[in-house]
Amino acid sequence: MKQEDIQDLQQLIEFLKEHGVAEFDLEREDVKVRLKFVQPVAPMVAFTPSIAPVAALPPVSAAASVTSPAPAAVPAPSAEENLHIIKSPIVGTFYGSPSPGAGMFVSPGERVEKGQVVCIVEAMKLMNEIESDAAGEIVKMLVTNGQAVEYGQPLFSVRTA
Amino acid sequence: MYDLPALDASLAASIYAGKLHYAPVTGSTNTDALAAARSGAPHGSVYFADEQTAGRGRGDHAWLSVAAQGIYVSVLFRLALPVERLPLLPLAAGLAAAEAIRAVSGLAVDLRWPNDLLLDERKTGGILAEAQTENTPGAATLSYAVIGIGINVHQSRFQPGLATPATSLDLESGRYISRQELLVALLESLEREALALLDSAGAATIPSRVEQASTWVRGRRVEVHGPQACVGMTEGLDGNGFLLVRGENGLVRVQTGGIRSA
Repeated sequence: MKQEDIQDLQQLIEFLKEHGVAEFDLEREDVKVRLKFVQPVAPMVAFTPSIAPVAALPPVSAAASVTSPAPAAVPAPSAEENLHIIKSPIVGTFYGSPSPGAGMFVSPGERVEKGQVVCIVEAMKLMNEIESDAAGEIVKMLVTNGQAVEYGQPLFSVRTA
Repeated sequence: MYDLPALDASLAASIYAGKLHYAPVTGSTNTDALAAARSGAPHGSVYFADEQTAGRGRGDHAWLSVAAQGIYVSVLFRLALPVERLPLLPLAAGLAAAEAIRAVSGLAVDLRWPNDLLLDERKTGGILAEAQTENTPGAATLSYAVIGIGINVHQSRFQPGLATPATSLDLESGRYISRQELLVALLESLEREALALLDSAGAATIPSRVEQASTWVRGRRVEVHGPQACVGMTEGLDGNGFLLVRGENGLVRVQTGGIRSA
């Protein structure tokens, strides 16, 4: 696992703790992350390789480093920040762009308005454009392109103030 | 050619009355309907064409839409449909199209999940549904849905190399099928199915009705394409209409994609 991935993970854990999220699953091409917060401040972290050989993974050191303080270079979300979560209204498959090969609807750092389309969730071949229910700046996309999402699953975090 | 005044008259008592928009040639009727939806076009607006130059299917698939050979129509629905029922809408559209084809041509369509219209394993029609959802937490509602339907009617031959072998209603029935009659029957059955979805009891019957109208959704070995790709035996539909496939690694609930015989 690369240092920047670990830093991303640290930010994610901070964010999840801040919002009291009990469980979080992420699946990408080369890595699966499952986080379960047994106690408010002590996350249990497990990395499951989907493609990479097990020997390549340093689960113990990674788990150790995610509980250490974030380096100063990484701007961890502060407690005063007003982060809003855009959730999926339906079960389906998440797409960040209008069609294969097209640009993303929104990217981190971009501003969105309430009612602006931020992604597509496809179910039953129905391409369902999802509107943002808040105005602000996209902080993070919390799912990956092509990922199956459940009802209520967090899709984006938005800084509303 | 369509007889437009007669179409208007046939649909005078429907939700489509006075809302038929015909173009001899357009890029894509779904694109037209979506643009109209964003500009505030009303429930029941219909966009149809004699020819599409950029007919679309799911993802980056194209739909061949040769002049005067098929039905290329898109309907805008603004329904107070709870979003959890939204996955049933494309299935209901498939049932509506199958019923219209049966009524006008006598041909029995086999629905290949979710809503390909097949005659004897050859594709005679397809459906592309696109929607926008107002994402109010806990009370998300459908802003609008556009149901686009393409049906091959008069084609006598198809180009080689199509994803699924194609056919037309004329080829399969051995006679001339009227596009005008089919379009009226299709719009009428779509209206009926869409309104039935608003009723929870009506919506609940959709998965079982699709099972009855399809040889694909139970007891068939299939290859699933899309985000939940797998190979296995179909085991029916769940309450959302999602396809259950028993593969080597257990039961997969397929939410979207296409299936082929395996």
